[in-house]
Amino acid sequence: MLTIKLAYRNILRHRRRSALTLLSMGGACFLLSTMISMTEGSYSNLINLFTGDFTGHVQIHQGNYLQRPSLYKTIKNVNKIITELEKDALVMSVAPRIFAPSLAYGKDKTFPAKVIGIDPAREAATTHLRNKVHAGVYLNNGLTDSGYAPAMITYPLAKNLHISLGDELVLISQGIDGSIANDIFLITAIVGKTDSAEGMNIYISLNAMASFLSITSENEVHELAIKLKHQNLALTFAQQWQEKLTPRGLNVDPWQVVETAFYNGMQVDKKSNYVSLAVIIFIVSIGVLNTVLMGTLERTREFGVLKAIGTQPIAIFKLIMLESTFLALASCVAGMIFAMPLIWWLSQVGLTLAQPIEMGGVKFETMRAELNAFSFFTPIIVIILSTLLVSLYPAIRAARISPLQALQAV
Amino acid sequence: MFKLSLALFLCFSSYVCADQEAHELLKKMDELYRSDNSTSMMTMQIVTPNWQRTLQMKSWTRGMDDTFIRVLSPAKDRGVATLKIDRDMWNYLPKINKVIKVPPSMMMGSWMGSDFSNDDLVREVSLVKEYTVKKTDEDKSWRLILTPKKETVTVWARIEIVIEKKRLLPIEQIYFNEKGEQVRTMTFSDIKKFGDRTLPATMTMQPLNKTGHKTIITYETAQFNTVIKDNIFTLRHLQKRF
Repeated sequence: MLTIKLAYRNILRHRRRSALTLLSMGGACFLLSTMISMTEGSYSNLINLFTGDFTGHVQIHQGNYLQRPSLYKTIKNVNKIITELEKDALVMSVAPRIFAPSLAYGKDKTFPAKVIGIDPAREAATTHLRNKVHAGVYLNNGLTDSGYAPAMITYPLAKNLHISLGDELVLISQGIDGSIANDIFLITAIVGKTDSAEGMNIYISLNAMASFLSITSENEVHELAIKLKHQNLALTFAQQWQEKLTPRGLNVDPWQVVETAFYNGMQVDKKSNYVSLAVIIFIVSIGVLNTVLMGTLERTREFGVLKAIGTQPIAIFKLIMLESTFLALASCVAGMIFAMPLIWWLSQVGLTLAQPIEMGGVKFETMRAELNAFSFFTPIIVIILSTLLVSLYPAIRAARISPLQALQAV
Repeated sequence: MFKLSLALFLCFSSYVCADQEAHELLKKMDELYRSDNSTSMMTMQIVTPNWQRTLQMKSWTRGMDDTFIRVLSPAKDRGVATLKIDRDMWNYLPKINKVIKVPPSMMMGSWMGSDFSNDDLVREVSLVKEYTVKKTDEDKSWRLILTPKKETVTVWARIEIVIEKKRLLPIEQIYFNEKGEQVRTMTFSDIKKFGDRTLPATMTMQPLNKTGHKTIITYETAQFNTVIKDNIFTLRHLQKRF
């Protein structure tokens, strides 16, 4: 108790020096928290941009569909699963999909294409597909005036097939009953633009897909893509639902598993970011070491007196450590008080990028910060730990000092 | 010396003789379902672990090389037709009104999802022309062992045909791959009279590498050596609505 009181008094006694230390540590805390929330925010943005393109945050498949897709590996009773999923508070939307590799016939050209059966409304709620339509109108469940089912085609495929809006598109694939699936569709929308990287995809409605592939059950799909409240919930959500759906032979995978290549690339990038964060922390720690060391040197005589009147070395050690801890805490509070409004502003308004990131025609022009537990507590913990670490040396030095030498010192 | 050469000659001639006999038998098998021309109605039942369906179709053949098949039911596939002339094959899909040429590389591909390949269905390969044949005697049946000739393009390293001696009708046809493993078997059953011909009306194709898959073709009616118009075997007829 006495040590705490002494430490507190010591801090107040050397106001100028304390303020200086506070400033350097608080500045570091401010810098760290802004930087971390900015990186977190930009990754979060990137992940949302990426998963929102098609993947979704979590996907559900039958068995090993992800590794070895097959027309017959369908999720049965899908409507029931969707209803169950939608009851989960974390789920924003669920998009069912059926896939079929097909041969697409344009006017005079043929090209292999991936035909994707989607629920137009659910897909629009889960991914950016609706925003990527640059010509024509977004898909609906009905038929066109000419009696054909509507189809949306990606820009590169339309270009390769030499077809455009309003043209007929002939698709041939294998039906689920082994028959030759063949049908005519009408192109009602082009997905993506000249410069967007789109696959050779064709989107048709789920019911058009079912009749195309002769799927009689309306309760079967190949994939469920789920959008969650936040991308960082994906891992735990996938784990939790995996347990529930294992008895049905279903696999629940977060986007980290579905898009391994992207995830790994991102992890590498993130690591290099942590290196630069570590450098900042190192510089800050040196600054803290400097102020604490100077503070103890300045007070050598004081410690000499304390020692001379019989203070235990451990008490002096504790005293210095406590002073540092108080200062660190105070600077964290100060740093956060300044950092929070800025981070909040950055997360709401964000920085406008000089070169917008574009993905499939969806532009991201602002870089936003994100405040989460990680970006809030990391700087605090880092500052306190590094302060304690660098204070060890001055504290031990002061504790070990001989009273005679200390009193003789200037 | 004379005796020796005579013995050799006899030996050789009996070998040739046996070979000739085997050749004749194979020719008979080749022509069993075809003759100079034929028309037939058949059903094809395809069974897989995932689905099963039955197709009803009508087929016309001319000589050993030309075939025309039209699917009559189910309604979804009604009108789908296949035409094969010599080594060329086309499929017609009425829904999209398109004729699609089947490239030779697809000949071994499945026809309408069945266990029969395009090649099986149109009998592109005349066994007599493409294989050399040996015969072994197995009590009540003959076993023909077919090995492809050098210039034959095929995936089978060997085909064995078991033929009943009494009626000279096939019982079983076994296909081997280059490793000498059995890959699929076709069994013949349900012997019926079609006009003046007696034929096994049912053929069951069973791939041995895919469990739960089989395809059964049953001839409902068949007529041989009747008059068939030549215009059946044309692309125009292929696209005709009927």
